[in-house]
Amino acid sequence: MPDTLPFEGLKIADFSWVGVGPITTKYLADHGATVVRVETTSPLDILRVAGPFKDSVPGPNRSQFFADYNTSKYGITLDLKNAAAVEVAHRLIAWADVLAESFTPGTVDSLGIGYETARAINPSIIMASTCLMGQTGPAASFAGFGFHAGSIAGYYEITGWPDLPPDGPWTAYTDTVSPRFLAAILMAALDHRRRTGEGQHIDAAQLEMSLHFLAPQLIDYNVSGRSITRNGNRSEFMAPHGAFPCQGEDQWCAVAVENDQQWAGLQRAMGEPDWAKDQRFAHVEGRLANQDEIESKLGEWTKSMPPKAVMEALHGQGVPAGIVQRSSDLQQDPQLAHRGFFRDLDHQEMGTVPYAGHQFRISGYDSAPRSAAPVLGQHNDEVLRDILEMTEEEITEAIIAGALGG
Amino acid sequence: MLSPYTVLDLTDEKGELASMVLGDLGADVIKVEPPGGSPSRAMGPYLEHAPEAERSLQYFAFNRNKRSVTLDLETETGRTALFSLVEKADFIIESAQAGAMAGKGLGFEAMRQANPRIVYVAITPFGQDGPHANFPASDLTVAAMGGPMSLQGVPDRAPVRLSLPQAWLHASVEASVGALTAHALMLRTNQAQFVDVSAQTAMIWTMMQGMSAHSVQGRDFNRSGNTIQLGTVNLRLVHECADGYVVIFPIGGALFKLVEWCVQDGIIPEDWLTAEDWPMYHFKVLQQQPVAHTIDEVLETVSAYVRDKTKNQLLEHGLAEGVSMAPVSNMEDLTRFRHLEERGYWLTAPLPNGSEAQVPGIFANLTGTPLSVRRWPPKLGEHTDEVLGDLLGLSSSQIADASGHGPG
Repeated sequence: MPDTLPFEGLKIADFSWVGVGPITTKYLADHGATVVRVETTSPLDILRVAGPFKDSVPGPNRSQFFADYNTSKYGITLDLKNAAAVEVAHRLIAWADVLAESFTPGTVDSLGIGYETARAINPSIIMASTCLMGQTGPAASFAGFGFHAGSIAGYYEITGWPDLPPDGPWTAYTDTVSPRFLAAILMAALDHRRRTGEGQHIDAAQLEMSLHFLAPQLIDYNVSGRSITRNGNRSEFMAPHGAFPCQGEDQWCAVAVENDQQWAGLQRAMGEPDWAKDQRFAHVEGRLANQDEIESKLGEWTKSMPPKAVMEALHGQGVPAGIVQRSSDLQQDPQLAHRGFFRDLDHQEMGTVPYAGHQFRISGYDSAPRSAAPVLGQHNDEVLRDILEMTEEEITEAIIAGALGG
Repeated sequence: MLSPYTVLDLTDEKGELASMVLGDLGADVIKVEPPGGSPSRAMGPYLEHAPEAERSLQYFAFNRNKRSVTLDLETETGRTALFSLVEKADFIIESAQAGAMAGKGLGFEAMRQANPRIVYVAITPFGQDGPHANFPASDLTVAAMGGPMSLQGVPDRAPVRLSLPQAWLHASVEASVGALTAHALMLRTNQAQFVDVSAQTAMIWTMMQGMSAHSVQGRDFNRSGNTIQLGTVNLRLVHECADGYVVIFPIGGALFKLVEWCVQDGIIPEDWLTAEDWPMYHFKVLQQQPVAHTIDEVLETVSAYVRDKTKNQLLEHGLAEGVSMAPVSNMEDLTRFRHLEERGYWLTAPLPNGSEAQVPGIFANLTGTPLSVRRWPPKLGEHTDEVLGDLLGLSSSQIADASGHGPG
């Protein structure tokens, strides 16, 4: 008997695109919901044209950036500027429990799939709208990516080196924070609907969700005027605290000495060198005051060994340490293998590719993506015929009218 | 939305945001703290920089919508009280070292005996079992093992984390998603559920397109400073302006407008306007087709345009014209951002020293069940009497025993 899945039977019309919306609906899809991801052929979801591409060959059906975020979903194309497509969209809304979208505010209203329309079609629908700045306010129309929101939300200011311009997180950072909040909000709204039958509209601003990850420092600024800024890898409270060079090409091991006991552990791991016995370094205040010196000496020691040997030597003495892993290292990480984190899924064009799995495992079922991401329009027929139960004539009419796009 | 449910929060700084999310969504959260308080109460930053009890802003930031109960779980009375709470709870969230709770007889198996419908959520650096389950870990080392550090920083220096701890926050909000997913399953199966959250894997997901790079294209992405890697091109995103920096992604229609403005400002000659089909320019660059002006020339031009303008001028001008120019906000910019003010985002919270401060508001605006802050972060043990007395019906001497304040 197949496992019971948490969201089996739940129906989601997913008009969202790029990062936050699709990652949010992915949680529901992977854990059992039927999610129909609606795309247009022009413009394409930008993740379909951004890499990494399978074998480095670009193509709209070859991007793992898109694929990782759209597992376990059905994929259809609708040209929402076409009236026949809007009719199909309305059928989807009538079918669905949840309607998700992530356009610039006002867009869904102009497309004819806004909340008032959706509620008229389906009074108990839950509609989740997410965008960078939220549906209202003077900057609501600010369109862009998580790079922009990450910069406005303060994450560029706090990433990089104090003597260099802001470096920024490498990725569109608010896209990594927001889907977690939005998925939790959506699941709570579903539980409320299960008990009361009431739907509602959710306005989730990626900026506002993301600011919670800076909350202690924002409150500190408001109280004391102290403004935190980028500081490499250093901590206000611990030292040494950084990434140290190891043997090999661009290899690093992160080391965090959280207290005086761990400092003693670090000394044992290094074989009790004389420099480390300096009394100035015995307590955290002294180590914080002399970080340059400690970092350079510690780096001399780490340089002589591969990162794994450094990590193991430190772990042996109870000191937190971790190899700075790249995506290739993750593929070899024994802990991730133990958890079954990466899952091979068979994609129509890319073939078998390892997909990144879940960040939590739930007992009782295989908590993992169920199927590969769809190629563009992969399930057009199936969704119209089997899910929306349109007749052959209706489907033909929709196609002739150009509903499914070019 | 979650008002029918009770959450027992046994976490420290590694999990406090998880139960706060459920609390903001309406759940009754009971924070069970040891007699000395949650370890996060001893973590900075501190109010007035005074590292004293009830002064931790780390604690204050992630413990609203909770009641605080002190229980000494080293004593039998304390443990008995905990199990009585478990019987009435729907969720337990803990963030102890893997296996530590089970070792004390407080793990999932013991809890499900007390409550066969409990959802038990455990947050750890690497997961409950496996070869790395007991690795000593901190925010920095989890950011390293999870991968995002490998992508951040300039090539000629060490890779960097974000300069503030993020790993436990990612894992915590992820844990709230895991909790609600498991709860949906429990409703179907009527069986207790165990949720095993790994902070390392939460950090992997912050790599976005970086996490699967090697397995599909045969090579990793590497750190490249403040650029975005588009195919073979590194596009610089950060430009210095009059009072700081801005982030601009110069592609498509936005690039065409920027070129127009640069012509108007006399930065580049008028023939630039027709030299390229600017909205399509980035496709040509990506496909390595010949272009009239190189990407470096274009980026220099953008830099020249913003150099004498302020962050706010650029933001406002861009908003009016549909070109996204994002200020690199510092803490001051954020607290003064008119947009957040007009949306009513900031809330005024009473601080433990009697003063008030603006704090981040609710996560989202909901039409049917608006979120709210019903309680500000509790003092240690503030609700011990209320919860143990009213909810469990314990006498005052039993309460004193259970909370570690008894005579013996």
